[in-house]
Amino acid sequence: MSKRVRWRLLLIVLVVAGMIAGYVAMGYANARREWIGSGKPTLTDALKKGVRLGLDLRGGIHLVLQVNTIDAVKAERDDAAEQLQTQAREQGLTLGPAEYPSERSFAIAVTPATDERKLDETVKRYLPDWAVATAGGKWVFTLKDLPLRQMEDNSVSQAVETIRNRIDEFGVAEPLIARQGKDRILVQLPGIDDPKRVKDLIKSTAFLELKLVTGGPSTDRAGLLAPTAGQVPPNLELVEGAVAAGQREPTYYLVQKTAVITGRDLKNARPTQRQLGGNAVSFFLNAAGAEKFAKTTGENVGKQLAIILDHRVKSAPTINERIHDQGEISGSFTPEEANDLALVLRAGALPAGLTYLEERTVGPSLGLDSIKKGVTASIAGALFVFGAVVFYYRLSGLNAVLALILNAVMLLGAMALFGATLTLPGIAGFILTIGMAVDSNVLIFERIREELRAGRAPKTAIDNGFSKAFATIIDTHLTVIISAIFLFQFGTGPVKGFAVTLILGLLISVFTAVFVSHTIFELVYGRRQHIDALSI
Amino acid sequence: MELFRQTNINFLKYKWLAIGASWLLIAVGLFAIFVQKGLKFGIDFAGGTQIAVRFAQRPDLDHIRKILDSANLGDTGIQRYEEPEKNEVLIRVQQQRQEGRDVSHDVQNALRAGLLGPAEDASKLDLNREGRDTLAARLVAADPDHVSGRPDVTPADYYGRIAERIIAHRSETGIFRSAAEFDRLPETSGPVREWLKANSYPGPFVLLSAENVGPQVGADLRKKAVLAVFWSIAGMLAYIAIRFRSLPFGVGAVVALIHDTLITVGLLALFGREFNLVVVAALLTLVGYSVNDTVVVYDRVRENQRTPKKESLESVINRSINQTLSRTVLTSGATMLVVVALFFLGGEVLNTFALTLMIGIIVGTYSSIYVASAIVVIWKDLRGRRKLQVVPAPKPAAPVSPSPASGKKKKSGRR
Repeated sequence: MSKRVRWRLLLIVLVVAGMIAGYVAMGYANARREWIGSGKPTLTDALKKGVRLGLDLRGGIHLVLQVNTIDAVKAERDDAAEQLQTQAREQGLTLGPAEYPSERSFAIAVTPATDERKLDETVKRYLPDWAVATAGGKWVFTLKDLPLRQMEDNSVSQAVETIRNRIDEFGVAEPLIARQGKDRILVQLPGIDDPKRVKDLIKSTAFLELKLVTGGPSTDRAGLLAPTAGQVPPNLELVEGAVAAGQREPTYYLVQKTAVITGRDLKNARPTQRQLGGNAVSFFLNAAGAEKFAKTTGENVGKQLAIILDHRVKSAPTINERIHDQGEISGSFTPEEANDLALVLRAGALPAGLTYLEERTVGPSLGLDSIKKGVTASIAGALFVFGAVVFYYRLSGLNAVLALILNAVMLLGAMALFGATLTLPGIAGFILTIGMAVDSNVLIFERIREELRAGRAPKTAIDNGFSKAFATIIDTHLTVIISAIFLFQFGTGPVKGFAVTLILGLLISVFTAVFVSHTIFELVYGRRQHIDALSI
Repeated sequence: MELFRQTNINFLKYKWLAIGASWLLIAVGLFAIFVQKGLKFGIDFAGGTQIAVRFAQRPDLDHIRKILDSANLGDTGIQRYEEPEKNEVLIRVQQQRQEGRDVSHDVQNALRAGLLGPAEDASKLDLNREGRDTLAARLVAADPDHVSGRPDVTPADYYGRIAERIIAHRSETGIFRSAAEFDRLPETSGPVREWLKANSYPGPFVLLSAENVGPQVGADLRKKAVLAVFWSIAGMLAYIAIRFRSLPFGVGAVVALIHDTLITVGLLALFGREFNLVVVAALLTLVGYSVNDTVVVYDRVRENQRTPKKESLESVINRSINQTLSRTVLTSGATMLVVVALFFLGGEVLNTFALTLMIGIIVGTYSSIYVASAIVVIWKDLRGRRKLQVVPAPKPAAPVSPSPASGKKKKSGRR
């Protein structure tokens, strides 16, 4: 064995061993991360987990949500109008009721009696983000562009944070929660087998308010508003409750507009079982919330307190005594619902509603099926190719088969090391790589045959074959890699997996088909002084 | 063994015939797309909902259709999926008018209500539906193995593992067909099985997959797919232009590429295959493959042009094609073997993917000879004639007639 061949061999062994070691190491790391229960992952577990599986093989959910940022803007608008009214009242200014011409603007009627200079000062001081215009006895307030954009932006990042908190509390291994573009959020949860529950968990706004009841409950909406001539008084609001059994209309509550406490005042929440049966959620307030709560409940013993979740009255218990820092939300909850409500209350409310734009769920059994089929097809395809190559090129064909097997092994190792995800199209890409990697061997072998036909000695023919085919091999690889790069750019999940597999596989095939195959030839024929014929 | 030992086939003799055949194929494809039935977009591009379920019993499709019709979902389509003995059904629901409706959930609920009847107690768990977490939570609450007092176990972990095993068992067997199967669950204690039989039941189906694509995402994906195909073709043009520094070669390769893509898409439409993300992936792979094949011939042509022999371009190209013929056939053959394996064994998702590549490999191999190479010959031919001013450049208006224009061109001999 010449020194050159020895070095080449050493390099090949090192690279391949490195890839295998990398695969096993990643396998152990992945297996340990997902390990539940006692014991330690064995080598078999590690071998199964070397390459991360995509959602389509592993099962799980892929969601694209849109944040309805307009909700947050509306909330800000209502807050601003409310604040202006409060400040004006404190300064003795008389203002008409607020009107809402659009999501980002409100108008307030100004009477001749209003001190406009004072109002202007108040606005400048408390509503700096709002542009003011006067029109027909009204002051129209519009949220300025910059604060509007900031608000929309904030509501999206806040929604991402909230969803992340909820998913973390729920406990999902390796979740992906990422902002996509202006107002979209991508959520990928592998291994989830109960899509409905997780979807509800993510989507529920979980906006909790506790407000004092001043009227109702009643199914008679008009009757409730009769004392105020059918109008909801400015400091109150009408909130729907549940539809009681046997009723068609929901029950309505008239409650104070200003909440006693909101979800922001919570310290903790947990599901509880009630003594009479049924499930409930207990919540605990932080210091500031507890202070407010104790004061209000102490002053309003005997009155009803509405517990409002996402603008719907869940229950309205009567205040029996001054309450300090805890309360209970009851309703007809299943154990899971109680658990999930407690979870979302702990994780915080969403700043705006969400809409599902795209949803892809793969059940665990489909993933298993896909793996089985993909692997069967791959093995069959590989055996076909191996058979054809050996049949056509004899011993040189064996050389190619060895190179292809090394290619496959190294591809697995590379995917593990790069943390690439194997998807169902990725399996197809894997086996397609084998089909295309043969191309390099074919190009080389055909060249060697040509050289032999032209009367060259076998050793010269081998060397010439490799060097002449090299430029073409680079060309053929580059063309497919270029298109795979565009594919990667374009693709979502499974398709991206295909592109990655293809690119890695082709890069590796340059090494195996050119370097490894050549070394094998040199190993076999290099020692002999004289070769009569190549088996090709 | 050798299939082609120093062949000397005059491929380019038939180039006009081949070009005619190409136009015919393209016309058939375009007819299928624009006149006949159009491209059948999958939900990736068209939007809508697609749900695959596996039933415990052989499903009565008419009954299912009736159930779905009464659920007020708009147009629905139902078809069997994979092998019939697996009782798998694919349900399609058209795009809803507004974003956000949870159609897949509505469909499942309608099916469950329609197939189950009022007999099953709502408080019981549907073991073919519930996931690990819910099952584990219920087991912890019921505690059939009485582990809650024991110091050495945490109930959540203990029942979590049992629930995991039960769901894994379901995934492996496909579906729980009857409550009697609960008795055969591996690694569960008697009390757990009894609890399962008393508090749960095997529902009528298991959800295999559910996909819901809203109108916005559908439109986005369509745009992205078109852009990806466009840019990869542009990328190929740039590559060839840099690599070969020759306009006719670049044009030849890109025309061949567009030719392959058009014919493949057209034939997919003709076969009524669904056009989805995975098919676009196959098309983009094809873009690479088609150029790959062309480049091998081109490389050879350049190499042969370097030897200073007096030989017409057509003859050089013919010689190059013959020299690379064995490689072309072998490589296409090997890739084809793999793709055929995927086509027959890879399952539903990979089936159209494999078909796309099958068509593409055949057309791509052919086009590297008869489109890419032929264009180079015709191009140089026309330019040669114009230069020599022997005859006014004839327009190849009637490409169908093969003989008169093809055989005799010795004018562009040098270079």
